[in-house]
Amino acid sequence: MNSQIPLYALHERMWHWLQAAGMICLILTGMAIHYPDRFGIFGSMANAVRWHSWIGFALILNAFLGIFYHMTAEKYHHFLPRMDDFTGAAVRQARFYFYGIFKGEKHPLDIDPRHKLNPLQKITYILLLNILLPFQIVTGVLMWGADRWSGTFARIGGLWVLAPAHTLGSYLFLSFLIGHIYLSTTGPTPLSLLRAMITGYHVEEEKTQ
Amino acid sequence: MRRGLSNSSIWVTVKASGISLALAAAALLCATAFGQDSIRGANGPGPGDAKVAKLAHPLIVLKDENGQSVLTTGKPISTRQTCGGDCHDYEFITNSFHFQQGKTEMDRALLASHGAPSFNTSPGMFGKFSIIPNRQLTAADIKDPSDADMSQPEWLTKCGGCHTGGGISEYDLRGHRFLTPEAKPNGPLDPSYTIRDRDTGQVISWDWQKSGIAEADCFLCHVPKSSRGERKKEMAAGDFRWANNATLVDTGIVVRQQNGTFTYNRAAFNADGTVKPEALDISDPTLENCAQCHGFTARNTTTIQPIQHADIMRGTEKSGWIYNGAKISDTVSPNIVEKEKMDFPWDAHAAAGLICIDCHFSVNNPGRMIQEDPKKNLRYKPAEEDLAVYLRRPDHNFARGDIPPETVNLAKRDTMRACGDCHEAEKGHSFLPYKSTHLRSVACQTCHIPAVHFWAYRSDDWGFVMDTGGSRITMRGIEGSIVDPESEIRGYLPAYIPTLDKNNIQQIRPTNLITGVYWFDKSKGRPVFTWQVQNAFYAGKAAEGEFPYRPEILKAFADKDGIIDLPQAVYDTPEKIALVKGLLQKYSGVADPELRIEVVPWAMTHGIVGKKQAVRDCAACHAKNSMLARPVDLNSALPTGVPVIYRGKKLNVVNFSTKEPSFDNRVLLNSFYIAGFSRAAWVEWLGWLCVAAAILFSLLHGAIRLLGGHL
Repeated sequence: MNSQIPLYALHERMWHWLQAAGMICLILTGMAIHYPDRFGIFGSMANAVRWHSWIGFALILNAFLGIFYHMTAEKYHHFLPRMDDFTGAAVRQARFYFYGIFKGEKHPLDIDPRHKLNPLQKITYILLLNILLPFQIVTGVLMWGADRWSGTFARIGGLWVLAPAHTLGSYLFLSFLIGHIYLSTTGPTPLSLLRAMITGYHVEEEKTQ
Repeated sequence: MRRGLSNSSIWVTVKASGISLALAAAALLCATAFGQDSIRGANGPGPGDAKVAKLAHPLIVLKDENGQSVLTTGKPISTRQTCGGDCHDYEFITNSFHFQQGKTEMDRALLASHGAPSFNTSPGMFGKFSIIPNRQLTAADIKDPSDADMSQPEWLTKCGGCHTGGGISEYDLRGHRFLTPEAKPNGPLDPSYTIRDRDTGQVISWDWQKSGIAEADCFLCHVPKSSRGERKKEMAAGDFRWANNATLVDTGIVVRQQNGTFTYNRAAFNADGTVKPEALDISDPTLENCAQCHGFTARNTTTIQPIQHADIMRGTEKSGWIYNGAKISDTVSPNIVEKEKMDFPWDAHAAAGLICIDCHFSVNNPGRMIQEDPKKNLRYKPAEEDLAVYLRRPDHNFARGDIPPETVNLAKRDTMRACGDCHEAEKGHSFLPYKSTHLRSVACQTCHIPAVHFWAYRSDDWGFVMDTGGSRITMRGIEGSIVDPESEIRGYLPAYIPTLDKNNIQQIRPTNLITGVYWFDKSKGRPVFTWQVQNAFYAGKAAEGEFPYRPEILKAFADKDGIIDLPQAVYDTPEKIALVKGLLQKYSGVADPELRIEVVPWAMTHGIVGKKQAVRDCAACHAKNSMLARPVDLNSALPTGVPVIYRGKKLNVVNFSTKEPSFDNRVLLNSFYIAGFSRAAWVEWLGWLCVAAAILFSLLHGAIRLLGGHL
């Protein structure tokens, strides 16, 4: 018999999937801007630029809604690492990924609605949501506003600084996305974590004696 | 609008520009000078024909240098007396760059401030070295005969066909008017009073009494039937005083006799001695007037003569522009390949009826001048001068832009009506993201001159002189001779370079590249003169139009049949360069010759296409194979290992690794980051390394899990 553990609320799931869809669209439109001759799925580079801007702003809005939700619902603590998360717990998690998982060992962290993220996830998201995402937002908005606040744009160094910086951030996001999708298969079954993010429930097989 | 003036009748069709008003006022002004009886205007167009602004200039008497009617004296026409005097301020008009060509700007500090090489003596053609003629006006203060290249009289015989008299052909380099008591040579080498004898090579005196002075040739621009070709014959022959008469040969006013002298055709004159208006037809400069010197220009013609208006097509030669309202597809001659695909005009502005002076107007013409002063935040600044003042002193520093390689009279740069003065580009171009950035960084011509459908100069090498005495010339955009109407004209694609706009912002614009190879005298700090190169190459004088090469030249360069043609006339080994260097030292006294390559960009400004033909595909510029970095072939035979000069500075813009040496503008485009085209290499490497690491990790990790049965 299986038990269902409520893991992700509707708001969290919507936030996650909107974020995911937005990121994928930004990566695709970004590729169309970066490789206009090889990646013409949006018809023209101009279209790709427009879509990239709109989706970028939608993602910023989603990010703020996410912050609002996590703050008001007091769920931000899921993302806050404890000291142990940087040391022992992180080592245990890393050991699991690089050794235990190949031996069929049990995941070091029990699935628990009060502790949704493992230590490595917490560290990753801290960096992702507090450094990389704002970095992309700032560089992206500055480039979007090149015509609007051209003085500031030029003082910062213009496209010579902003474009490579934004591009590097995009590569890092793409790398994260690939790793994230793969690691989502490291649950009890390859699709269990994905299912949880869709249904909101984690299904746990009860042990039979 | 028809207006009656007491007993006279003047037909004036008023055009909104105001030029006709100006001309009408000119009629009024001159009426005072000639008396009202002389105001009998030509039959102008009828009311309602707003396309034609026809002037009824008052009838004039052609006067000689003493102010007498030439019909009575038979002497040459003096424009100083005929046009100047009571009506127009001759000195004011001729003190402008169209007449002076740099003579009034012979200031080394000024040249230095423009970044011009120090061997130039002025920023205009009268003093500036250019790779195409490989000639330069001799500096005023030379002490050594070997420093004499083109003296002032020789300059006039070579260039005076277009450069229309006035300043440069009336005054010596110290400002004295020729044939006056003050005008005396300042030593035996004074370039205003000497010329290098073609036969002996010696610097000899020029007889100004014999040649006379060429006064400003007002007719060349203001008489529709003027003939630059006839004028050029007189200038080339050193018969300066009759040059302005020659200009009028096609009008029927002047007759060139078989012995070369000129007489006046009485039938072209009224009984009172004035010229019949239909003969002279003084008017605003027409397209055809400008075309005589500046290139192929016509309102609407399907036949473009290979050599039109005599023998020079300045704008056309340099960048291939055709200012013509007819459709390219309708071209009857010459042979434009795939013309049927080009169902659009040669130039959109010409098709819309614009003429040269619509943009290149007299800057103090109240009817045309740009009445704004951005420096004072004024969108409208009323003309400060009265119309009558303008008519007396029309500024012939015509409104000009600021495009390479033009440097004459830079004080007047960016005075012309530019694209933005007529077109509100911000209101169009809705397809374009980052409109301001694009419009600021990319010249309108970049997208609106996507291709040139004519031929133009490609290279002119004076480093090697052919047996004709001339240079090794190649053209681009044509297969065959430019004078053969059957030659296939395929056109060419521009090269793009950054230039500074009037706000000092770098802007990408299309150009034709003309590459020259020439010798530079490092000991003198100036180019080696053509006569010196010829001395090094030739063993003697020309016989039957061919110069005999020295044996050393034939041995090194000729093919097995002893012939040196274009394929052989190249410096393809260091030994050949060293050989000619030695000959220059031995026979021409050039102490330290150095072979140089110079790549000169000639900006394209005409041949504009409308929005349907303009570049709209973002990838055209933003893709990796961007047209902006397109390798443009320069010359199939450029020497390697020699300095490359670009816009006055040593800068290597030649890529020798391509099939033919090509223009490498990467170093120039470094000031632009073009999304999609520009790359920060380390970012790409690091970025793709991260992505590859993520993929590799996922694949390996998943594979191990799969193989271990723990997926």
